[in-house]
Amino acid sequence: MDLLLSPQLLASALVLGTLYALLALGLNLIYGTMRLLNIAHGEIVMIGGYVVYWGFTLASLNPFIATVAAALAAALLGVALFGSVLRPMLRSGELMARVEANSLLIFFGVSVILQNLAALAFTASPRGISFLDEIIEIGALRIGADRLVVIIVGLAACFGCLALFRLTTLGLAIRAIIQQRDAAALVGIDITRTNMAVFALGFGVAGLAGGLVAMIEQVSPFMGFPYTIAAFIVIILGGLGNLTGSLVGGLLLGVVETYGVALTSASYRSILLYGVFIAILLIRPEGLFGKRRQR
Amino acid sequence: MNRTAILPLVLAILFAAGLLLPALTTGYWLGVALTFFMWVGLVQSWVILSGLTGYLSLGHAVFYGLGAYVMVLTWGQVPFELAILGAGLACVLLAVAIGVPCLRVRGPYFVILTFGVSELVKFIVVNIEAGLGRAGRLIFGAPLIETLYYWIVILALVATALAFLVSHSRLGSGLRAIREDETAAETTGVPVTRLKVIAFALSAFVPGMVGAVMVLRTTYFETIHVFNPITSFTIVTIAIIGGSDDVRGPILGAAFLMILSETLLVNAPEIYMIILGALLILFVLLVPKGIAGGLTGLIARRRREAGS
Repeated sequence: MDLLLSPQLLASALVLGTLYALLALGLNLIYGTMRLLNIAHGEIVMIGGYVVYWGFTLASLNPFIATVAAALAAALLGVALFGSVLRPMLRSGELMARVEANSLLIFFGVSVILQNLAALAFTASPRGISFLDEIIEIGALRIGADRLVVIIVGLAACFGCLALFRLTTLGLAIRAIIQQRDAAALVGIDITRTNMAVFALGFGVAGLAGGLVAMIEQVSPFMGFPYTIAAFIVIILGGLGNLTGSLVGGLLLGVVETYGVALTSASYRSILLYGVFIAILLIRPEGLFGKRRQR
Repeated sequence: MNRTAILPLVLAILFAAGLLLPALTTGYWLGVALTFFMWVGLVQSWVILSGLTGYLSLGHAVFYGLGAYVMVLTWGQVPFELAILGAGLACVLLAVAIGVPCLRVRGPYFVILTFGVSELVKFIVVNIEAGLGRAGRLIFGAPLIETLYYWIVILALVATALAFLVSHSRLGSGLRAIREDETAAETTGVPVTRLKVIAFALSAFVPGMVGAVMVLRTTYFETIHVFNPITSFTIVTIAIIGGSDDVRGPILGAAFLMILSETLLVNAPEIYMIILGALLILFVLLVPKGIAGGLTGLIARRRREAGS
């Protein structure tokens, strides 16, 4: 019981939950607006992680600055991918319909390519940096400074995104496209430009998450897949296309995972995650907070 | 020659050559042929559900893995021929059990659901094995590779025949109707749920038996290895590259994969994977009917040109 009430456990649930929320936000944004399931989302995290690792190791760049650089690099990658591949396809309705129907397979191909390019370039061995190793004590809580950074920066980014959706014209346009794509185009929203912004934002947030991951864990070419899976579970939990749901779902999954493992044992971690995933898909495929809608 | 007679003839030659191969070679190439026929068996089975209905299963590794597990659990207690059959039946049962709830879910939800179920079963078996205190199991006295090879060729033949029969039956028409428009199919009286579950069960049968035979080939059982999701991904890739609504598709796709893996897999695994990923994207976007579909188009065009 003492263990369950300890602030340490709550802190590790928060670290995990924040990262999950951040990842799910980007994945859900791209699915909500473009109906594309980006299986390669975890690979963007991996790329962000490597930007911070190499920035720190080669240029002794401060990881904070490197994380911003990682987010920008990932955002640029998103824009480049959108501009070079997806925008030409949007012009052909038939091709785009095929892309939408098979987005899982296409992005799986992208994911395999990125993983193996990274393995060719950086070898498969995991690499880590040590940064902000000191322990900070806040009352009864003892937490590594790097983990505290992850929570603060991650939550700030999550709420920043939500504020952007609620308060800006771009956010309004994004929400309009999620609700009714064709109607949004009719009332004069520039779909192509908004989608490009969505790709920049979704990839950028994943790159940022990658930078944060690099501060607390090792990076390797194949590190992305578990993050993709976690992000998928979260957006199923929070509802596909539901952005606030992603934030709540991410934190919830972090809590379920951390406390579930604490109550049972680490070997049940995967059973727990996939169990939650399947249960939600079968019982409430529209997500915990989603409205039931016709498909 | 009658056009419809060509395909059965080519298939008959292929499998006859497959069965005669052990008389000619025993070493490396027999292993290559074994792997080839293994993929033919797996992909032909996958096509029965996913090629015809469009419900993409990303979890067929679960049947391969369960088949292997059944074999390992019964090894030394029942004749292995019986265990192979038992493995197939166990997988049919599992397919019905997970098919009934899962096949209500459509589109991308179904794809990630099958993947999730496969991973869940994997981790359950991992925990069972850990609870039993086993870390991998060795199989002693496994049959010779020639015996296993004949089994795999026969299983590939069974899967091909099954795919062909289903594709040309009323069941096949019903499944295609589900792929084109499930709601319309249901309205016109196609018993969609029953057909989908039947197709799922049929598509699980041979993969379970293939898994049971293949674990005898490696003579070592490791849960993570036999339930490897890479198996599911490779099945999908072969079907997409070869073509998934045509009996020739999985054979052409598997042959293509073997050529690619023989030339690259050992020397440059990363480049092999990169090429595989790129091919998957290209085929999905540009050749949705796969090599088999492209071939049909090419032949039709030739005919037209020759005729005019």
